[in-house]
Amino acid sequence: MSKPPIDRIRNFCIVAHVDHGKSTLADRMLQITELVDPRKMRDQYLDKMDIERERGITIKAQTVRMPYRPKEGPHAGSEYLINLIDTPGHVDFSYEVSRALNACEGAILLVDAAQGMEAQTIANLYLALDADLEIIPVLNKIDLPAARPEEVAREIVHLVGGDPADVLAISAKTGEGVREVIDRIVERVPAPSGDREAPPRALVFDSVFDPYRGVLVYFRVVDGTFRVGDKIRLMATGFESEIDELAVLMPEPVQVKELGPGEVGFIAASIKEVSQAKVGDTITVADKKRAATEQLPGYREPLPMVYSGLYPIDSDDFPVLRDALEKLQLNDSSFTFEPETSVALGFGFRCGFLGLLHLEIVQERLDREFDIPLVTTSPSVRYRVELETEKLSGDDPHEITISNPQDLPEPNKVSRILEPTVKAMILTPSEYVGAVMQLCEKRRGTLLAMDYLTEERVELRYRLPLAEIITDFFDVLKSSTRGYASLDYEPDDMQASNLVRVDVLLNGEPVDAFSAITHRDHAYEYGKAMVAKLKELIPRQLFDIPVQAAIGSRIIARETIKAKRKDVLAKCYGGDVSRKRKLLEKQKEGKKRMKNLGSVEVPQEAFISALRVGSPSGGGEKS
Amino acid sequence: MDPQRWLTDPVECGRAAGFGIYVHIPFCAHRCGYCDFATWDDRGHLVDRYVAALGREIDAAEDPGRAVTSIFVGGGTPTMLEPDVLAGLVQRLHDRFDVGMDAEVTVECNPETARPGLFEALVDAGVDRISMGMQSSAPGVLATLERQHSPEALPVAVALARAAGIRRLNVDLIFGTPGETADDWAGSLAAALALGPDHLSAYALTVHDNTRMGRDVAAGQLPAPDEDVQRSRWEVARETLAALGWEHYEVSNWARTPGERSRHNLIYWQHGDYLAFGVGAHGHLDGHRWWNHRSIERYCDDVEESARGVANEERLADDERAVERLMLGLRLQQGLHPADAPPIDPLALEDALAADLVQTACGRLQCTERGWFLLDDAVTRLLPETA
Repeated sequence: MSKPPIDRIRNFCIVAHVDHGKSTLADRMLQITELVDPRKMRDQYLDKMDIERERGITIKAQTVRMPYRPKEGPHAGSEYLINLIDTPGHVDFSYEVSRALNACEGAILLVDAAQGMEAQTIANLYLALDADLEIIPVLNKIDLPAARPEEVAREIVHLVGGDPADVLAISAKTGEGVREVIDRIVERVPAPSGDREAPPRALVFDSVFDPYRGVLVYFRVVDGTFRVGDKIRLMATGFESEIDELAVLMPEPVQVKELGPGEVGFIAASIKEVSQAKVGDTITVADKKRAATEQLPGYREPLPMVYSGLYPIDSDDFPVLRDALEKLQLNDSSFTFEPETSVALGFGFRCGFLGLLHLEIVQERLDREFDIPLVTTSPSVRYRVELETEKLSGDDPHEITISNPQDLPEPNKVSRILEPTVKAMILTPSEYVGAVMQLCEKRRGTLLAMDYLTEERVELRYRLPLAEIITDFFDVLKSSTRGYASLDYEPDDMQASNLVRVDVLLNGEPVDAFSAITHRDHAYEYGKAMVAKLKELIPRQLFDIPVQAAIGSRIIARETIKAKRKDVLAKCYGGDVSRKRKLLEKQKEGKKRMKNLGSVEVPQEAFISALRVGSPSGGGEKS
Repeated sequence: MDPQRWLTDPVECGRAAGFGIYVHIPFCAHRCGYCDFATWDDRGHLVDRYVAALGREIDAAEDPGRAVTSIFVGGGTPTMLEPDVLAGLVQRLHDRFDVGMDAEVTVECNPETARPGLFEALVDAGVDRISMGMQSSAPGVLATLERQHSPEALPVAVALARAAGIRRLNVDLIFGTPGETADDWAGSLAAALALGPDHLSAYALTVHDNTRMGRDVAAGQLPAPDEDVQRSRWEVARETLAALGWEHYEVSNWARTPGERSRHNLIYWQHGDYLAFGVGAHGHLDGHRWWNHRSIERYCDDVEESARGVANEERLADDERAVERLMLGLRLQQGLHPADAPPIDPLALEDALAADLVQTACGRLQCTERGWFLLDDAVTRLLPETA
């Protein structure tokens, strides 16, 4: 393969909302550049993992190198290398998105001409603008009857400037206008700059576990050249290895001997875990004389935002779950886990995730790839707890960080609790502004800004506690705007809040799995909902069972499960003893699967259902 | 008595209870919404064929050579049959088996089917006991239960039976039907007692999912029976009958005197042996249980083909026998003698004693008053973990 001059390389990505046609556009580009044999073409060619294809979202970034000769214009006839760097498309992965954007010089802003801009697109657009990328606005799905190209073009121009007439209008489905998009990339996106002679540096924008070759590290060369056999070092983790394989994706892997400035590809270097080659890290050579001394800017450790306890339904599955989590971590370094015990749920793990979607993906993979039935406790965030100094002795820490409500000290030992907040961006049709504002107020939000993109579309910016977002916020937002609003958010500072822990007591004994940290104003609502739910879920027993919600020693809600007074099945009619015997044997079997808490037998299903409804935020809209 | 008789001679344990025969007549004028037995109200055209099949099954049955101590003809509505046909079936059992002179012979009867000549025919065939399906004296409750008779039919039917020479009378009642008031229940008890019965059965209405009533409850068209209400109805029955000196000998059954206990049902509760004839009927002999087809057509086909209507059978394993022994024996007020009971884990026993579900009295294990109506809970507590 001929070595392209650096000024013939174009690195770009596509910023788009889920379902706005990113994968279809990529498919058309593969066809126009004749990279994929038409007979081998399949939909969403680049989305490799099953889970991605089914959910229609990209989790791991992929990349593809397309040789292209423009047929018209000033560059007609010359061969260019167009590198499409795919980005994950969800708020949970905004850091990964930002690293992928940093590997590019340009971005296609792809917007569905019927749907218009979505909050997620705007958020990623801002990330692209932060990375100084050349933005190429494109309207997709102009063939749809519901398309409103002029209006949506105005929305786009409102955000990125320019002339609505410059916005390309295409149909990725039919291919109409796609060639013009590629031509515009060649024309507008700057060629990479980089020094072939400088100490080698490359940006890791993704790493994927491959069971045969170990971790494949996707990278963009910034300076210098990397060759097969080079000893390399990852500057943040310090991990060293030797390049076994160097390849580009077209879109199937094609081995190359070296990659120079501006080029994009992957290496296999006998790396066993993705945590050894983290997104955002800088690759250089191990040889101290040739090695770069300064990392590329912007690296940070992925920080879990949302925590949840994962417990095997069958306690015998604990070691199996541990193995599964370890295996998952091999290709997802952004998720953390540590063992945890619960009186109610037994042995499990407290796991940290980048966000709710990330949690769902992990759960789904555990279910799909490892077939382990799980109980998941209500998601929680990480709180910073400042302790009452008078109660501390010299060596005690003045501050602790907790992600499990159980770890919150007694109220009298706590001076302040700080909780993480997010800056949320919500796009909504203007008729629902009232409903959205009401929801955000209820969830303790502070309005930061409000901007009419057009007369019909409003961008609202709120500061919201993360804890209020991670339960059912998105669902409620969707249902109160007939599905039209979209949401995106980024982490913001910690803020002190009036938070309390609500405990749930069964027959006087706290059930740890149901404890939740909530704002004092929402505590009563949560407590009441929880005890009512448990009253409904726990079968009557031989004695009255008080179900209480409490803050410290103060009871804030109470229900009583009355003692059962009848538990006898009808007669064995006509001597049919077998049927009744089998029913009793089943009952006995059922008892084995119950947890005994405060001498109350609680069926496993009661936990699962109660944890499903247990939203400690200012919820209640769903009832 | 061998203190370990349960372990050393399980067969003998059950044999002491006697030896019964159950015959099932599946026809009804109307199938009630709560009924989940093998009954039909649209198979009138099969009556002759069915009766013939029953006769064939009875004739071909193996005689274990034991004296029959009770016969029970249940349904369905056995008294839907022509009196001579029904009497003929009972006669056939007498011809085929060694039915003792003092055997209890019961026929179930719905009040609306009582008619001149019916009971005379039965008495002539040796029937000495009628079980009358009264259920309630409240018209609203009878309507909810879809019973076909009016309350006034009861005294008439009973008078006919007594006049014909029926010596022993049981009245069946159902309590806790949705919509039934406390007064309805008190009135039903009074009306039942006014009939001068020798025995009362009173069962809490159980709604099965697979019945029309079960579907109505699931669809929210009928409230589910309230278990607390059922408990208090049961207590009212206990108190009312105790005040009259009746014996509450089984959780749902009362006898005017100990001699009036249902000998046939006692066989079930004492884990005894009984043959079974007819569609869906269940038999038991020395730890072997079998049951006939539940489809009347299939039953007739098979009997016509092979003189047998058995759909399936099982041989009880030790742990299964233990479950049955406990769940049946503890239905009786007298409970179980330790020699006739499976060994119970001391910790489980302690748990059930502490929960005031069972007690030991006169060297027997029996339910407490509280535990009697919580019998399933008591039994599951006493069962070994492996059962």
